Formats: sequence, C-alpha cells, structure tokens
Amino acid sequence: MKADVSRISYRPKLALAAASALVLIVLALLPPFIGLYQTQLLTYGLIAAIAALGFNILLGYTGLLSFGHSAFFGIGAYSIAFLLRDAGIHSMELYILIGLPIAALASALFGYICVRHTRIFFGILTLALSQVLYSLALKLFWITGGTDGLRVPRPTLLAGTISFTGAGAFQRFIDAYYYYVLGVFAICVVVMWVIVHSPFGKALQAIRDNEIRAAFLGLRIHRFRWMSFLISGTFTGLAGILWAPLNGLTTPDVLYWPFSGEIVFTTLLGGFRNFTGPIVGGIVFTYLKTYAVATTEYWQLLLGVVLVLLVMLLPTGIVGAISAAAKKLGPNSP
Amino acid sequence: MDNPTTVDRRKFLGAIGVTVGGTGLAGAGLVAAPQLVKAAAEPPKGKIPDTPYKTGHMTFLTGPAAVLGEPSLKGHTLAAEEINAQGGFLGKRKIETITADEAAGTDANVKELRRMKLEGKIDLFTGVISSGNTPALGPVAEEMSLLTMFVDGCTDFLFDKAVPQPKYTFRLTNIQSSDGITAAIGTAQAWPQTRKIAHLHPDYSYGRNAAEHFTLAIERLLPGTQVVSESWPKLGTTDFTSHITKILSSEPDLLFTSVWGGDYVAWYKQALRYGLFDKMKVATTLAFGVAPHALGKDHPEGVLAGVHANYHFTYPGGDRWPVNKAFVQRYFKRWNEYPNFQSEGSYVTLYMLKMAIERANKLIGGWPDDEAIIGQLEGLGFDAPSGYLYIRPDNHQGYKDAVTGFSKNNAEYPFPTWDPNRIITIPIRNITAPANWPKPGNGHNESTAAADWIKKTWPKAMG
Amino acid sequence: MSILIIQILNSLFYASVLFLIAAGLSLIFGVMRIVNMAHGTFFAVGAFATAWLVARAVALGLPAGWTFLLIPVGAGAVALLGIVIEPLLRPFYRRAEEYQLLVTFGLLLILEDVIRVVWGGLPLSADPLMDALPIIRIGGLIYPAYNLVVIAVGAVAALLLWAGIYRTKFGVMLRATSQDRRMASALGLNVGLVYVSAFAIGCFMAGLGGAIVVPTQAAVLGMGIDALILAFVVVVIGGLGSLQGALVGALIVSFVRTAGIQFFPEIELAVLYLIAVVVLLVKPTGLFGSA
Repeated sequence: MKADVSRISYRPKLALAAASALVLIVLALLPPFIGLYQTQLLTYGLIAAIAALGFNILLGYTGLLSFGHSAFFGIGAYSIAFLLRDAGIHSMELYILIGLPIAALASALFGYICVRHTRIFFGILTLALSQVLYSLALKLFWITGGTDGLRVPRPTLLAGTISFTGAGAFQRFIDAYYYYVLGVFAICVVVMWVIVHSPFGKALQAIRDNEIRAAFLGLRIHRFRWMSFLISGTFTGLAGILWAPLNGLTTPDVLYWPFSGEIVFTTLLGGFRNFTGPIVGGIVFTYLKTYAVATTEYWQLLLGVVLVLLVMLLPTGIVGAISAAAKKLGPNSP
Repeated sequence: MDNPTTVDRRKFLGAIGVTVGGTGLAGAGLVAAPQLVKAAAEPPKGKIPDTPYKTGHMTFLTGPAAVLGEPSLKGHTLAAEEINAQGGFLGKRKIETITADEAAGTDANVKELRRMKLEGKIDLFTGVISSGNTPALGPVAEEMSLLTMFVDGCTDFLFDKAVPQPKYTFRLTNIQSSDGITAAIGTAQAWPQTRKIAHLHPDYSYGRNAAEHFTLAIERLLPGTQVVSESWPKLGTTDFTSHITKILSSEPDLLFTSVWGGDYVAWYKQALRYGLFDKMKVATTLAFGVAPHALGKDHPEGVLAGVHANYHFTYPGGDRWPVNKAFVQRYFKRWNEYPNFQSEGSYVTLYMLKMAIERANKLIGGWPDDEAIIGQLEGLGFDAPSGYLYIRPDNHQGYKDAVTGFSKNNAEYPFPTWDPNRIITIPIRNITAPANWPKPGNGHNESTAAADWIKKTWPKAMG
Repeated sequence: MSILIIQILNSLFYASVLFLIAAGLSLIFGVMRIVNMAHGTFFAVGAFATAWLVARAVALGLPAGWTFLLIPVGAGAVALLGIVIEPLLRPFYRRAEEYQLLVTFGLLLILEDVIRVVWGGLPLSADPLMDALPIIRIGGLIYPAYNLVVIAVGAVAALLLWAGIYRTKFGVMLRATSQDRRMASALGLNVGLVYVSAFAIGCFMAGLGGAIVVPTQAAVLGMGIDALILAFVVVVIGGLGSLQGALVGALIVSFVRTAGIQFFPEIELAVLYLIAVVVLLVKPTGLFGSA
C-alpha cells in the first residue's frame, strides 16, 4: 500500500472544501424531496458512515484489520439504554457527553490488550473480545434485557429544548434527527480529516507502510497504534450512540460478530485507501442491504457475491476505482 | 402480602372451573352459526373504494421456529383467499399480503416493519410469533399509527409495559402468563403427588415468564414442591444432551419445559434416547404448538402437551362445534396438513377484522377509517374454531378459554394428538388478571399484572 | 456416579465434533496461512448433505444400518466443494491477509444462502441412522451407543491425521510447505497440489464433523456461524496451526461447557470467550501454537 503523499498547496484544499460544502448542502436539502422513509434510511446511512470512518483510521491508515468493532458500536448503543433506564436521562447531548467517554474507555482498554499483536492474531483477539461482550449481553438479561434488548424511546434534542411527543411525533423526530445526525456527521468528518492529515496521521501511515523503518525513525509503534485504536473505537461508539434512538431499541445482535463483518464490508465497499471511501461505503451499504433484504429472501447470497466481486475486481472500493479512473482521465486530479 | 387462605385442592381446582374430558366447552352455549363462511347478507353502505387492502405478515419462515410459525402465514392466506373469493372486504377491497421472515432478528424486523408501512404502504400489520419481537414492534406500530393485529408474541410485557395504552395494537392469541398457569393446573390435576420439579426453558422472556408463572401457580396448587434444577439453553440450541443429563442428575418427579418449535422436536428425540420420559413426568407449555406433522409417533404418550393454552385442531371435535370441523377440513384441503394454534389465530385475525369493518360500515357507511375499526374491535366477541374469543377493550388482548391435553397416539392420525378423555379446559377469566388490574409499576413491582393478581388473590391448596 | 460418567461422555462427544472442525481450520491455516471464515459453513454443508442423503436412502428402502456409509459420503461432498472452491481463492494467497478474511467472509454469506436454496429453510434430521444403534445402560441410566461411535470417530480421525502428517511422505510435503513455501517450491514440490490437498482435507474434516453430528440433532440454518466462533475459540486456546492444540483446545472447551451447564447454567457462553481472551493475553499463539 502506498502512502498518500499530499503537498500543502491551497488550490486542491480550497477545491476540496468547496466540494464538501456542496455535498453538505445537497444532503441538507434532500429530506423534503425524498420523503420520510428515505430520510430515515439516509440517517442510518450517515450513522454507518461515521462508524466506517472511525473503523478506517485503524484499517486504512494504520493497517490493522479489526473484526470486533461491533463491540464499540454496541457499547455506545447500550450505554444510552442504561442511561435512560437507570438514570432517567432523555437528553441527546447528555447521551453523547456521557456515552463518548465510555466508548473511549472501552477502546482504550481493548486497544491496550490488542495492539501488541498484529495481523491474524489482532483480528482474532478483537473478535474474541467482542464476543465476550456479546455473550454477556445475551446472558445477563436482568441487566441488558437479554435477547429482547432494551427500548430507547425518542430523546430530546438541543439540551432538552426540542422534544417529540404527541401526534405526528415520529415524522417530526425523523425530520429533526436527520439534521442532528448530519451536523454530527459533518463535525466527525472535519475532525477525522484533521487527525489523518496531522503529523500523527502521517506517523500512522508510516507505521502501516513499514513498521521496522518507522521504529528506526523513533516512532513508538505500540503507542501510536493504541491511540489509533482509541480514536477508532470512539468514533464507532459515537455511531452506536446516534443509532440507538433512531432504531428505538438495542439488542445483542449489534454485538454479534457478523455485524463487525458488516462494518468491514462497508469500509471495503467504499474503499479503505481514500478518506471519503468509508463515507461512501457507509451510505451505499445501507441502501444495498435494505434493498437486498426487500428484494429477495436470498439477500445474504447477494451480499456475499458483491463482497467477493468487490475484493476480486474492485479492491480499492468505489471511491478507489473512481479516483483511479479520474487519474487516467485528468492530469491534475488528486 | 402473602397471607392466603387455604383450601382443599380439589375444591380449588373446581373453583377455577377446570373441566376434564371432552365435555367442557366453557362459553359454548348453542351450536355456533357458520359465520365464518357466511356471505355478506346485505350490501355495504356508502361508497367503498376498490383499491386493494394491503397487509404485511411477519412470521418465521426459516429455521427451527418455522415449524411453529410458518402455519401462521398459511392460516392468514386461507382466510384472505376465502374473503377475496367474495370480493374482499365489504365485497370491494381485496386483500394483498406481503410477507417477511421473522427469523431475520429483532433489529431487522423493526426496520422491515417501518419499510412495510412507509414504503410498502400497508394498511394492516399482522403475524409475529416470538415474544422477543412484539414488545419491539408494538411501539413502532403505535408511533406510525399502523393498525396492527399480532397473532402471537404472547408476552405479558407487551401490554403491561411496552404499550400499556394500546391504540392501534391488538393481539389475538392468549396472553403468556396463562400458558404457565395452565400447565401448572394440568400438573396439579393429573400428578398431585409431584414434589420435585426440574425446569428447562429457552433463555429469553418467554422461557422466564413460563417458569415464573408456573411456579407461582404450582406453589398455590400443590403445597411442598421445590425446584431441584434449572437449565436455560439459548433459543435455537440443537444439542440438549448435557442439559438432559443434568436434569436426570437432579432426579425430579416432574420436568416443566417451555422449549418450543424445532428446539422441542430436537429435545424430545434426544431425551428419548436418554430415557428421560421413563424417569419423570413431563409438563410443557408448547409441545403441541408445532404444525402437527412435525411430531413423530415416537413422541412419548402421557406428556402434558400444551398448545399455548390456545387451540389444538382435534378440539372441539366431531360435530360438537361445526365451526372447527369446517375450518380444519378447509385448511387440510388447501394445505394438505392440519392447522396449529398459529394458523387458527391468524385465520381468526382476518375474520375478526372483517367483522369489525362490516359493523363499522353499517354504522357510518363508506370505508371505515382505522379509528372506527378499532372502536369495533374493542369488545368484539367471535365464535372461532377454538371457541369463543373476546377482545378486551382495555388492553386490546384476545381472550379465549384455555385448553391443554395429554399426548396420545391415535390410529386416526400419523402423528400424536390428545387423549380425548383427558382434555382440560379452564375458563380464561379464572387464570388471568382482570381488566384494570394495576400493571407493573403501578403500586407493585411484579413482572406482570398476572403475577401480582395471583399473589394477592389466590388461596393456597392443602392436602 | 453414572451421571458423572455420562457427562464425561457428553463432553467427549462434543469435543469430538469440535476437534474435527477445529483441526480442519488449523490445518488449512497451518499450510496455507488462510483463516477460512466459511469453515463453519462447510461443517453445516456436511450436516445438511448427510441428513438429506440419509432421508433419501431410507425413503428408497435402504436398511438403517447401511446409512452409516453415507457419513463419509457427506464428508466427501464437502471435500469436493472445497476442491472446487480452492482455485477461486488462489489469487488471494499473495495478497494481504485482510483480503483473504474478506473473501472467505463473502464465501460464508454465499454458502449460507446456498444451503437454503438447496435444502430449504426447515431443519433436516437423520434420526434413522442414530436409531439404528442400540441404547446401552450405564449404571441406572441409559445412553445412546451412537454417541460412542462419534467419540470413536473423533479419536480415530485424530490418530489418522497425526499419522498422516508425521508419518507419511505426503505429510512431510505438507509440513515443508507450511514451514517455508518458497523453499518447498524451490525443492520441486508441487505447492499448488499441496494446497488443494490441504484445503480438501480441511474441508473433509469439517464436513465429517457435520456428518457425524447431524443424526443426534437436526441440521438447522445458522449452525455454521455458531460453529465457527466455537472453532475459533478452540484454535485460539490450542494454537492456530497445531493438531495437538486443536485436540486439547476442543477438550478444554467441551468440558468447560458441560461443567457450565451442570453447575453454572447462567454463564456457559461467556466463560468460553473469557478463557480464549485469557489465553490470548498470556500466550497469544495458544497453548501449542507457534507464531
């Protein structure tokens, strides 16, 4: 994998910022045109994009494939359910403020355990840890509700100023929540962009490309990997926090290992070598899965074939393929 | 709080209204009119659109639960075909059905329900078998203002906590707490010498509810029983051998189990090889809940074979209740198999909806909106194949008299059915909490209203 | 006392099946350095294929005793499937490991639904095979003799595998390829053939696990996904790539599970994963594994 060497010059950056702003505006204007169901689906897509974005700092930029990210997603989702049930908290802001450190703590812990290993063992270790959580969620039904899960009714937004009750509440909630998630999504993208383009991000890529050389350069491999893991798990946990109120409930399914596989699939679909890949992947995968399930009872087959074809033919994902094509067509494309 | 009076056990059972043998058909009264296939006597009032009436039916189509859940779709389809043969609802609106596989998991089911309503534009949502799904789907249906008539998903939790004031949500088959209590009554009646009880339940809300209510009831019906072992295999377990060995090691008089569907079939076959049925009596809540042909004649006789306190196709039998005889015949003709309680439940669902629509139309004319339909469904009584079914207005729950029986091989069928001389029927009002009994959180913290009601009002038997 | 014996036999039974699956997984990893995420699904294919064959055979009038011969047939079918699939995986041997995991995960999704397409959504059972054997008495309790057959099959398979790997020329080739592929190839070994063989043997083991277990319980959808995670736990504990590790790991997992069911019914699942995590922390390559 080649490192992404970008020069610091103003033109491409300005163009990029303009393009992103445009996309954001389009996304913001969509809901009235696409209707309630599609808005809801797009919200799920944005949440998946945040999860994939977080996942990719670990895979794309640090070179570690985790098969256990469902753990952080689930921790985020269940924290909200617990905060609601045991502390009576209804405010979305508090959910994020309290849930995020919990996800961060878990990532720090899991990361500390996992980053001393690489490659296959790293993947298997993350898988095993996530399944410990899964089995606990399943068995400790008096805490977690077991297979039935826990309900997460609509929270209040903007420090309790907007709440959703009464007739038509569902519609109003989806309309408002879409923008809320869009806002958080935009912040996440900016934050992640800054991280991966910072010296820290460069160091991660150096470690990814050549661990030994990086070590010789004085980079503390385990420390950097651990921090990358921490950021990764926190972002994915944030996605889980945003997901639970939209879904209305959280169940152990979200901790089960095939869900981690979905997160990986999502990132790969968009392309893990580009910054925007996971974003595209998150949204596209959400639609892909929804329509696969609605179209055929053999949707697993469909998704499996897509995945295999992807790995065989389009290993750099959708964005990777597009940017490769763009390179061939235009002289100065980034 | 537990300062119950004590009564003689036989009097207790008599007071509950337990009748044994084929004679009891509490609430039957006269021979029922064949209203199920009666053509509409008068034309509907007002202008009726002829757009199709879309229903969404969700049940288990794959996996071990399918042997219990898939017949629900068959019952629904049969009813839809019969109604459509007369032109559909009010003779104008034909029923269309889209289906979903409940085996996809609770999360996916919630998403699918939303899709069915928001994109598929269904008018009615029905089906749903698992107790894990109705508490998740009920609130979603309510918030989308979607008329929903659950066939099963019997957990008390749905109307006790998840949707305590249902507007759009209904449920047709009996509430779960009556399941465990029925099994307890059957046990007390048939095996009063039971002292040591082992439990085997799937590890989710249905299993826990069954264990709890059985225990609450048996403590009062049979003094001096104790629980000697518990096993909680995950739903979908295929290997029960270690659990079976553990049960054998505790040497109980009775095993009470709520394992159901394909899991139950796997379990009893494995248990046979370990000789479990020779060493103890077995009481179940759902042994005969599966499509009847899923059981083999190797199934042991004399097991208290529950049907979720709802319906077994052999009862009421013969010409005593023609509605059932006709239903079973039509179902067999259509599907070449016999119905289970889910088929009967989903079949009755569409017919009760039809009745509500017709009554609402008679009152106001035109196609009734959901409010009008709901108004008619509340308090609706119906002569179903299983007996008289009543939808209580306060909690939108369907109530029918509970029934259970003992497994026996009859020459008439290639699978085990009930011993017709030992069928037990129980008036449902004697084993469920009455209307407006406080729900959990209102003055008590029991897990269900039924549990609280038992603790506060049931006496204890002695002798 | 009889209870103790029976629970021990139950554990050995479960360990036998686990060993077959885990040994296959370990073998494939040891030789080819691939973690086959679809391995559990191969186990499921073995179960479904065997159940189907038994049902057809009995319907055609074959006496139940002869259906035993269908077990290796079912396992063989899975080996054939492996031989067909292996060439499709070849482009990925040299690619990054991530791609292998993903491709085999995609294979898992495909095979899970292929099972459904071919055999339908309902559980399939093979009772006639199991009931062909008697029930024996142990103390005051009874126990199906078929389970003893399963234990025997597991033991024999372990022995044959060990002999095959450490005592035959082919085994030498396998070990050489697993230790240093380039060198083996340079020395004239047909590495491609070794790979196909290893994959086929691994799949055969998984299929055999499914074939021998299905008479005692039905083949149900999703059994492969559950089996895979258990197989992972076994090889994590025992060591990825090690035959003894698969055996010891299977025994540990199995006995812990049975003890959990007997004494601590609440926590059976979690304990297994916790053990895996502990082993991974203390000796990440597993009890018998090497890096």
